[in-house]
Amino acid sequence: MLSRIMIRILFFGKLADVGQALTCELPAGVKTVQELAAWLGSNNPMLAKGLGQKGGRIAVNQNMVVGDHPVEDGDEIAFMSPLSGG
Amino acid sequence: MQQVVISKIPFEPSVLANDFRDFAGDIGAITSFAGYVRGESGRVNTLRLTHYEGMTEAEIERMVKTAMARFNVTACHVTHRIGDMAAGEAIVFVTAASAHRRGAFEAVDFLMDYLKSEAPFWKQEIGTDGAKWIEPRSNDKRDIARWSK
Repeated sequence: MLSRIMIRILFFGKLADVGQALTCELPAGVKTVQELAAWLGSNNPMLAKGLGQKGGRIAVNQNMVVGDHPVEDGDEIAFMSPLSGG
Repeated sequence: MQQVVISKIPFEPSVLANDFRDFAGDIGAITSFAGYVRGESGRVNTLRLTHYEGMTEAEIERMVKTAMARFNVTACHVTHRIGDMAAGEAIVFVTAASAHRRGAFEAVDFLMDYLKSEAPFWKQEIGTDGAKWIEPRSNDKRDIARWSK
């Protein structure tokens, strides 16, 4: 069942190899970024493994957040592999 | 005064350093760092850097502002490449100006530690072994932890 809350999901780093950017309706019952990660992983075991990797980050509307951050209508949620620049 | 540039094209650190001297104005000290793609004895052909457009720039701007306030720096510039780079190409250039040298040294050191493991970039090495994602090393994590003390 879908919730009519529209979100955009992005993947960066190694996660972009196994996850596809998409705009979709938030599944009913998914309220936080951590729950969204679990839902995405339930459909894609390789993505589940990547999302579980230590050092990964999550951003909502281009701000870093922790796992219990809520997901709201119009949000852009980015799942990131460990950062590496310089 | 601060400048943050994400560049899709090659840049030359010495040119940016000269431009920064003009930009910095009346100061006593300038420190800079330039990072280059290592060829790893021929093993690496290409370094590919990706970023999160919009967020990466904003995060670096925020960190430069923090560095300038913390280390009493009057001017600061960061240029960071994205896209594909060959061995020997410049990846990043950070420079800071202050009235006295300590602030300029520390601001550049701090910003490089931040860029290595806390800025939204992702690196792949592409070479004889195929493509490999690069993750922060334990040294990078230790380096950034210094600034929390």
